[in-house]
Formats: sequence, C-alpha cells, structure tokens
Amino acid sequence: MNGYLVFARKEAAEIVRTWRIWVLPSIVLFFALTGPPLARFTPELINALAGGQLGQFQLPPPTYVDAYGQWIKNLAQIVLFSLIVMYGGLVSSETKSGTAAFVLTKPVSRTAFVVDKAAIHSAFLTVILVVGTLITWGVTAAVFGAAPARTLWEAALLWLVLGVFFIAVMTLLSVLIPSAPGAAGAGLGCYALLSIAAIWEPVRINSPAGLAGQAASLAAGIGIPSPVWAVATSLAASVALVWLAASVFHRKEL
Amino acid sequence: MNAAIEAVGLTKDFGRKRALDAIDLSVEEGSIFAFLGPNGAGKTTMIRLLTGLARPSAGSLRVLGRAVASADNAVRASIGYLADVPAFYNWMTARETMRFVGSLYGMTGVQLEQRAELLLDLAGLGGVGARIGEYSRGMRQRLGVAQALISAPRLLLLDEPTSALDPMGRKDVLDLIASLRGRTTVFFSTHILADAERVCDTVAILNRGHVVVQAPMEELKQRYSKQKILVEVTGGAEALAAAIAASAWASSISLGTGGVIEITVNDLAAAQHAIPVLLSSHGAGIERLTVEELDLEEVFVQLVGGARS
Repeated sequence: MNGYLVFARKEAAEIVRTWRIWVLPSIVLFFALTGPPLARFTPELINALAGGQLGQFQLPPPTYVDAYGQWIKNLAQIVLFSLIVMYGGLVSSETKSGTAAFVLTKPVSRTAFVVDKAAIHSAFLTVILVVGTLITWGVTAAVFGAAPARTLWEAALLWLVLGVFFIAVMTLLSVLIPSAPGAAGAGLGCYALLSIAAIWEPVRINSPAGLAGQAASLAAGIGIPSPVWAVATSLAASVALVWLAASVFHRKEL
Repeated sequence: MNAAIEAVGLTKDFGRKRALDAIDLSVEEGSIFAFLGPNGAGKTTMIRLLTGLARPSAGSLRVLGRAVASADNAVRASIGYLADVPAFYNWMTARETMRFVGSLYGMTGVQLEQRAELLLDLAGLGGVGARIGEYSRGMRQRLGVAQALISAPRLLLLDEPTSALDPMGRKDVLDLIASLRGRTTVFFSTHILADAERVCDTVAILNRGHVVVQAPMEELKQRYSKQKILVEVTGGAEALAAAIAASAWASSISLGTGGVIEITVNDLAAAQHAIPVLLSSHGAGIERLTVEELDLEEVFVQLVGGARS
C-alpha cells in the first residue's frame, strides 16, 4: 500500500510541476470564460458576418441554455480531443524514458504504477471540470442574469464520466502502443467508433457511446431517459480497462 | 556461504538473437562480483533479468533465495539498482529524488532525511539545488549510485557504474563499493577492467552471451599468470627465439626490441627447465628471466580476444 501512496504523490506532484498543469486547465479555462459571452453575442456576430443574407430570418434571443450548450459541446469535442492527445504517452512516456524501470525496480508493483496514473489523472480531470463549470456558471449568471445550477452540473458530471472513461482508454492504449502519437491516434479512432456506435439506440442509452449526447441534451434542457445504465457501464468499463492495462503491463518487458 | 544470485542454464532470446546462452552463475552473499564483458556481450541483459525488468527465455534465476519470476516488493525492497543510463524525473531535484526513492522503501522522517543527506554528500551532490534535467551524465550517474544505496540494500546491482565518471568520481565510487564488502553483495557490470581488478573478489567474463570463465580474482590471475615468461638477452635473440618457437612447451612467441622475448607457454615446468639450457647452448647472456603475472586485461584479451576474432 505504501508504494501506491508514494507513487500517487509523485504523480500528483508531476502534474503540478510540469507542462500538464498548463495545457488542459488553460483550454478549459479559456472555454469557461469565453463560452457564455460568445453565446450572448452569437446573434450579433452572425448578423454582422452575414450582412443582409439572412433576410427576414431572425435568430432567437440567446439564453443561458446556449451558454450551457456551448460549454458541453466544447467539453465533448475540443477538451476530449486534447485529453486523448495529452494522455497518448501516459504510460509509454515513462517506459521510453527509463523512469518506469527506475521506479519499478523499487518496492512498487506494476499494478500500482498503472492504477495510480489512471486514478490521479481522473482526479485531476475532476478538479479541472469542477473549476471550469463553476466559472461557466458564474460567467453565465453575469452575462444572462439567470443560470440554473442543476441543469449545468448534471450535464457536466455526465461528461465527467465520459472523460474518466477516456482516461481509462488512454491508459490501456499507452500500455499497448509504445508511441504516444500512435496511442493518441488510436484514442481518436475509439472516439470515432463510439460516435458511430451511438447511432444504435440500445448502445446510445446503455453505454459510454451516448454520454456526450445525453450531456448535451441535459444542458439544452431536453429530458433524457435515465442515464444510470450509461453511467454504470461506463464506470465498469473504465475499471475493466485499467485492470486490463495493469495486466498487460505486468507481462511487458521494460 | 549462501548465494545471493544463482543462475542455472539462464537463457534470453530477443527474437532470433540469443543474448544470453545457458548461463550458470553463482554470486556469494557479501562478495563484490564483477561481470565483465565487451560491449554487446549481454551484461545489461543479465542485470535486467536480475531486476525483473525482463524475463528469461529458459533456465532459472534466483535472487536472495527467491525465484525472480515470483519476486515481489519484499525482494525488491532488499535490492538497490543503478541502470547503465540512469533515468530520473527531470523536474525533481536530487534531494527530492532521494526522498521519493526512500519513501518507496518505506523510509520516513529524520531517518530518511539523514540518509539522503549523507549519500548526497558522498556523491558530491550535497549542495546542488538544480533540477535533474540540468545535470550532466556524470552527475546523473553519481545520483544513481546514491539512490541505489538509500535503503542500505542487501544486494546492489550496478550496470556500468563508473562509465560516465571522471577519474576522481571513479575513485570515489570504487572506494564506496569497496567499503560495502561483507555487508552488501555488489554485482556490477563493467568493461573497465581496472575497476574490476581494483575492488572485486570474484569475476565472471561474459562474451557473446556465454560465461567464458567465473573465478575468484586471485585464482583467475593465478590460473593464467604462470603462462607467460619474459626473457631478455644480451644478444642472439633472433636465433634463441627461433629455437624456443620450435619447442613443444611454447604456445606463442613474440620478439620485441632490445632482445626481449615474450613466450606464452603451455607447460611452465618444462619451459622453466628448458630455457636455461637453450640460453646456454646459444651462448646468450641473460638480462632478465621472469615468470610474468598477467593482469586482468591480459586475461580478458586472452579469453575474449580470440573468441572475437
């Protein structure tokens, strides 16, 4: 157990003291700050850009729902893509640089090495998401004068389950594929496959494939069937993926 | 005496390439054991097997009485390891690295701080506050030695521990290794023969995945030392050399400048009796007649050089 705790502390310190503390938080902060104002001024921007081409067509006045929708859309696309690219080398970067061998010749199990990485980076994503959502919430309230909490937080937490699932996917891929860009490419491939799989309703309702769409619907104030199954299967799949990653890592020569 | 390391028929293949071929090796607990070999002989592969970073293709390998395949944290807690190219977290300082490694071994508080301080001072890194990313290769190697010793391990595995060090650094590390004699089993790989000769009790020479010889240092030198005779004569060296070359007890002969003849012999007793007779019959005056003791380098060249060519 000592190895788990010490390595987890190292992993957390590494986030704070390297590039990792800047990249994902900066992206999330940028969208959290700019999303609501952008939603507020979208009609004016479109009118200014389109000139007279819109004719009599009038865009409906923006509301907090647009800001929430913008936030979830950014999370589901740009933030998720960034996360996939960032974590392509989650494990392989350490095996390649030799630091994995440095650590794993000490009293630390390979399971601890893999599980700690997945757990600490999931916690990091949770913190980023909570801070980003708080900012979005506050800025939305300032810009629109109304910002119901429940809709936003339900949607954001639903997306968080998807984010954690993708950290688990990237943990496995970074064990399987020695090249970080290669693993990132495979991760984007998984994202594309999930998006396609979401066309089929049973998959959409009961698996991680539907989480992005359900989060977007929640943010837009549209009712969705209970996401319990999608959340449960996503979390179970995350645990299974990390377990599989640890199991494969056990058999690897470093 | 117990064996700290015991390999029987240890084989390691990388695809179709055989890196280690049926190696038998036994390292006594408390000894300083040098694993010698030219580049590419399989030294690093052997150490990777010992640390559990790689798995044998065949044969058995026991470390501190446990099969490496089933070695767990308890075994790793008794081992210190320095890689040939030490890798660290570049964002840490040396002190943070020592604390991190010590914590992994379950050390805490004052004990950890004092041990880290002591070893950093010994490694000459006591006052260095820079991040490891800014270190030279020599500094990394010294830190590597320090971190390998943090837990006062029973077994210390060092892969080319002095390869990147300057002469003073080399001397310090070798003195440190020598000071561990009897308390810690030190297994170190090197191609620097003088290092092995200086500190080790036992030597194994590896070439192309085979252990060519394993013996205590003194026995090894003794085994080969009686096979070289130097004769220096006042004149007629060419004729004498030709007569010696024709003798059955002479394996090889080389004629140097100033009447020096170097003879490798296969029967020392016969040579010791025959050479004075030959000297007398050729009327050659003796400047010198000595049985030379080969140093490790000559033993190494003799054992590995032939195989390489």
